[in-house]
Amino acid sequence: MSQSGYVAMLDLGAGVVLVCAVVTLWRRSLAAIVRALALQGVALGGVALFLGLRQHDGALVVVSLVVVGEKGAAIPAVLMRVVPRGPTSRELSPLVNVPASLVAAGALTLLAFAVSGPVVALVPTTTGRLVPLGLATVLIGVLAMAVRKKAVSQIVGLLLVDNGIALVAFLATGGFPLVVELGASLDVLLVVVVLRVLGSEMRSRYGVLDLDELQELHD
Amino acid sequence: MSGAVLVLQVALGAAAAAVGGLAPRHVRVRAAAALTAAACVAAVVAAVSVLGSGHPIAVHTADILPLTGASLVLGPLGAVLVSVTAVVAIAASVYWPGYAHHGLSSRTASGILPVFVTSMLVVLEAGDPVTFLVAWELMALSSLVLVLVDQDRREETRSAGQWYAVMTHAGAASIVLAMVLVSVHAGGHSFAEIRAQAGHLPGGVRDVSLVLALVGFGSKAGVVPLHVWLPKAHPEAPSPVSALMSGAMVNLGIYGILLVGDRLLGGGPSWWWTAVVALGVVSALFGALQASAASDLKRLLAYSTTDNMGLVLVAVGVSGLLADGRHETLGALAMVAALLLVVNHALFKASLFLSVGSIQAATGTRELDRLGGLVRRMPVTTAVFVVAALAVAALPPLNGFVGEWLLFQSLLHALDVSGAVVSVVVSVAVAALALTGGLTAVAFVKAIGIGLLGRPRSPGAEAAREVPHGMQIGAGLLAALCVVLGVAPMLVVPSLERAAATVVAGGRSHVLRGGVELELAGLRGILAPVWTAVGLALAAGVAVGTRDLIRRRPKRRVADAWACGRELLTPRMQYTAASFAEPLERVFDDVLRPDRDVTVSHVAESRFFVERVAYRSSVGDVVERVAYRPVIGAVRWWGSRARALQSGSVHRYLGYGLVALLVVLVVLA
Repeated sequence: MSQSGYVAMLDLGAGVVLVCAVVTLWRRSLAAIVRALALQGVALGGVALFLGLRQHDGALVVVSLVVVGEKGAAIPAVLMRVVPRGPTSRELSPLVNVPASLVAAGALTLLAFAVSGPVVALVPTTTGRLVPLGLATVLIGVLAMAVRKKAVSQIVGLLLVDNGIALVAFLATGGFPLVVELGASLDVLLVVVVLRVLGSEMRSRYGVLDLDELQELHD
Repeated sequence: MSGAVLVLQVALGAAAAAVGGLAPRHVRVRAAAALTAAACVAAVVAAVSVLGSGHPIAVHTADILPLTGASLVLGPLGAVLVSVTAVVAIAASVYWPGYAHHGLSSRTASGILPVFVTSMLVVLEAGDPVTFLVAWELMALSSLVLVLVDQDRREETRSAGQWYAVMTHAGAASIVLAMVLVSVHAGGHSFAEIRAQAGHLPGGVRDVSLVLALVGFGSKAGVVPLHVWLPKAHPEAPSPVSALMSGAMVNLGIYGILLVGDRLLGGGPSWWWTAVVALGVVSALFGALQASAASDLKRLLAYSTTDNMGLVLVAVGVSGLLADGRHETLGALAMVAALLLVVNHALFKASLFLSVGSIQAATGTRELDRLGGLVRRMPVTTAVFVVAALAVAALPPLNGFVGEWLLFQSLLHALDVSGAVVSVVVSVAVAALALTGGLTAVAFVKAIGIGLLGRPRSPGAEAAREVPHGMQIGAGLLAALCVVLGVAPMLVVPSLERAAATVVAGGRSHVLRGGVELELAGLRGILAPVWTAVGLALAAGVAVGTRDLIRRRPKRRVADAWACGRELLTPRMQYTAASFAEPLERVFDDVLRPDRDVTVSHVAESRFFVERVAYRSSVGDVVERVAYRPVIGAVRWWGSRARALQSGSVHRYLGYGLVALLVVLVVLA
């Protein structure tokens, strides 16, 4: 593949990562949100794969396969098992309604482009200009955690943050060392498993997966 | 010898941890203990080869830690402490299987104990700041887990764990800051590179990092006023862990002070060494005083650790002061004394903690006032305890005596050196250490007299039986080494001199002379430990023989003892630990501030007749009360203020995070 082909594929992958993040804010169905997350994982893995192929870096290719396997398949599969069937599987009343959160996502993306100038200047390669997309994904993830009520959406928000950080790392440094990436992946997987257990426990004890209900535990 | 043996040691430690964490119940403790001991043997082999040849062993891998890689460099100073740590750990491993069902048989415990031992060894072998700090943190965390491993039994254990966690992390933070400051300004990755650049450090950086290092490493060594965690955490840990913490881990605090003060910065300024001596003197006095007032046997030992680390610090500080004043030979002599004190302390204190573990396992208590009568019921453990206790009290022919002899020799000879600072510091130190020695003797007379002799004071002590052989051997091994080093200190002194020569630049004391005698080259002072031992043995033989001669004359009659007119003598009438310490508590009332509580209740019919008198006396820690309680109170107050921010809504918390993130981004961009 030609050099411009690689660049186009990288642009596409990074763009899909950001679009998937926005989609998680747009859709109300928890199952759709998790599917968007899975697609984002695949896109992230694709970015790593194309970077690896372009730089002839075998370790990065391995990392990309790990990313696709973990973020594109394993984590969504675990999350899907927590998504309840029936009407409770929708994010009915987020703290900020959907249009407003989409506007906020747009504003955060603009902010990300505005503030990531110094980082872009630091990165020598052309991939640096995609760094704001990763930063925007991080910010949208934090927003999703702050405004969504369902435990699953919260976990998805956390994973958006993680994916955004990973994207920035791939673009800015050509990827972590393999051992760091593996460690971070294991951590995230562990968090998801713990939250899954916690989610089942919450549902069996309180009958809901709504974090607002936990407010009564205060005091 | 190549670095392979260091790698082997780490690999064996990792294998021990894996086996301890994964193997089935009936084999895991034995297998983990055996592998831990094997790792320690590898470490001893490496250390002995370094001390024999004088050439450091080094190994570097780029793969384990990112950015810098990990490097192990075992020099002579590290080798001395590695061998001490390894010997203590071997004894603890021998002891462990017998003790296991008293709270050290779980997967967590058997998996973490080898990690603790290995990380201590790696701290001493680390060749660069990153490896050092990673190993240090691993050591702190694994020892914290081991303190808490038995926590469902006692409330005190949880509190001790909290104290330990806070103090050890505050200390670690201080050490990280010191190391980062030094290595950033020196601009080197390994300790050797930093050392080469140390001369160009700005004065401010140097001073700040020295103070930070003293705080961080001092808290690990249990130096007053940072010692408060030590008498809580060391007693609450299971006994083999206490032995490792008190015998081996505190030494790493001393090692750290030497590492930063001498090896990284090439000798601190004289105010810093004076501060080290001052901390040492205060720790020694305070530790000995608290030990003599303590009624919990392990607490007594823990305070005695503070006392002994104080002695070591005095020697280290005086050595630094002397080297700073270009008296390298005397400085090296003081350093040899410091290292010998460390070696001795590790041996006898670990032996004592292991023996107390045996006593606790056999009687179910470690309160002195509930023990007694153990000399007939547990003769081996009692003998081991007595030997180690006499070593702490620095009596010949045991190793403690040789160590303190060297310490006092170096201090007294330092008095001849001109220089106002040295003379003042040293004369105060000598006086304080003399008092410390007396107080230590009081503490251990109490431990032996109340805890082991007399009649049993509780049903638990009454029913005590000797512990399994492994536990006897583990504790006995260390006590035997105390005797060996007491009679033949020449076995280790040349190695210590070699290590001291690497610390005190250009100083070689040549303490050793003549084979069986320790003679100070160029100074007055000869000690012949063998002849002391022989003389003592002869004197004891003569004393016993004479007693028998005198005894034989009148015919022996068996009769009831005079009981002051009372029919029944109960064990409750014996002297207690509290009554033994009472005169001291009166003399040092201002420092110890004992809490006494006497409740007299009268018979209902007449106030002239007392029904019962309840007397309760406890000695807290005055430093904790004066310096720590107000801080804890303030933190608690702030905590309760901060509850206003807490609505319990997760979303609001996440909102705080988002807003903070945006503000930071905007401000930084």
